[in-house]
Parts: sequence; C-alpha cells; structure tokens
Amino acid sequence: MSFKKIATIAGLALGSLVSAQSHAHHAFGAEFDANSPLTLRGDVIRIEWVNPHAWFHIEITKADGTKEAWRIEGGTPNTLLRRGINKRSIAIGTEIVVDGYWAKDRTNSANGRNITLANGKKMFMGSSGTGAPEDGADKK
Amino acid sequence: MKHVKFALSALLLTLAGCGPSEQAPSQPEQAGSSPFKLSGDVKHVMQWVLDPAADGVWDSAGSIITAAGTRELAPTTDEGWLAVEHSAAVIAASGNLLLMPGRAVDDEGWRNISQGLVEAGLLAQAAAKNQDSDALFDAGGQIYRVCKACHSVYVQGDEASDTL
Repeated sequence: MSFKKIATIAGLALGSLVSAQSHAHHAFGAEFDANSPLTLRGDVIRIEWVNPHAWFHIEITKADGTKEAWRIEGGTPNTLLRRGINKRSIAIGTEIVVDGYWAKDRTNSANGRNITLANGKKMFMGSSGTGAPEDGADKK
Repeated sequence: MKHVKFALSALLLTLAGCGPSEQAPSQPEQAGSSPFKLSGDVKHVMQWVLDPAADGVWDSAGSIITAAGTRELAPTTDEGWLAVEHSAAVIAASGNLLLMPGRAVDDEGWRNISQGLVEAGLLAQAAAKNQDSDALFDAGGQIYRVCKACHSVYVQGDEASDTL
C-alpha cells in the first residue's frame, strides 16, 4: 500500500490520536491488522518511553499538504535498549519512515516494525513474540 | 525485685484468664476441602485486580518527550508514591491469588510464573517505598516480562489475540 493511499485513508479516520499516555498491553492481534501493512513518513513529535510499550508519535504531511498525527507502538523499552534504541536515540523533529501494521479500528495508530532514518539506517522497533506477523523484521 | 514480682504476677493472672474461647482459632482442616472460596476465575483476577494495578505502576514510571521538553512520570509527592506502592502490593498479592486452588492451571510452570509475579510486584513495591523512579521503571519492565511469559504459555487460541 502506498504512502499516498495510506494518507488518504488516514484522512477519513476519526480524530487524531495524539492522546495522553497510551497503555495498551494487548497482543498484536487485538489491536493491529496483520493484513494491513503500511509505510509512514513523518517527523517525530512525541516519544512516550513507558512500559509496557514505547510509543513514537509522528506528524505526516498528506498529499494535500495538511498535517496529521499518528502514533506508532514500539516494543518494550527493554527490548528497544537491547536493539540500541534509547529514549534519546531519535530527537524530536527527526524525520523517520516507519514500516508497520495499521490498527484494526482504522484510527491513526500502527504497530511499528522498522524505523528508517534519513541516512538509511534501519532499526527494528517492535517486539517478538507478541503475535505480530513473522515478517522477519526482528531477525535483521 | 518488687517490680519483677509484680510483672510475673500480672503475667500469670493474664494467662489464667485466657480460656479456650479466647485463644486463637485453630487452623481449618485442609484435608479434603479447600478453605478458599473463589471470587472469580483467572480472567477476573486479570481484569479487576492485576490489570488496574499494573497500570498504576506503568503510569508512574517513564518519560514523555516533546519539543517542549521531557516530563517524567514518576510521582512528585509522598501521596503519589504511596499510591504506586499500593498498586505494587496488589500486583505482588495477585501472584498468590493465581496460585489458589481452582485457579492454578498446573503445578510447576504456573507456580514459577505466579511467584515471578510476586517477585516483580515486590520489586516495584520496594522501588515505590524508596521513591526510586529508575528502579520502578525497571520493575515495570519485569512485570511485563512475567505477563508475557505467562501468556505465551497459557493463553492460546482466540484469547491470545485479545490479551497481552
């Protein structure tokens, strides 16, 4: 699915989900759709470095130029630390590309798998063993 | 010496006054029947006891980073820390609730995980008592690892997609 398509669909989604803290401790399948992979490009506007999952909020620019906020669920802080990501690894304002899976409720929420920085560096931001698709992202 | 005699006399009088009806009740008989009355199944414990308590710990540790700066989630008042300590104590107690007859699914595996939950809860409890935000954050991670370990073994089928 293309980024433009995602952005268009996202425009129809209800409301922005830049909320206060988010505490989902559900399996992947309870919230995210393994059949709806997506790619989002945007600037990081908020990082929630919390248990049980870290959350990265980004602001994307849609095809019509308007902005839209998305929140991306990452792995546990401990998992991310083992992968070399800490709460200061990605500065606010940094543009990232996120590969992940869209929320089942079609809000602006996704489960993140990979983050790609502008220099091409790719980092796995998810968790293994949560029911997320075996897409190999955690093996890289 | 006079004081010692008085104290001894008082002690004897006290003991003499303790008839059988005033002694601690004997332990209920364990053989053949459980003294416990389940107030709900494992899901009930998860929904009404453990989940809210875990949220109480998770909500109180970590950082929110925005362009405006970093906001730490750790409590800033004694009352706030006491509330977290309370949540942590509930988590520790939940481990034992899961071990009650009628809830335990098997022996060793279930016991290990339940005891792991007790330990994780106690870690969080100590961290809150010491008002140690880093230790509380680590304990929060430990609590989740226990949750995940349990769910990976004992939650299967459709339920697996709804939990954890």
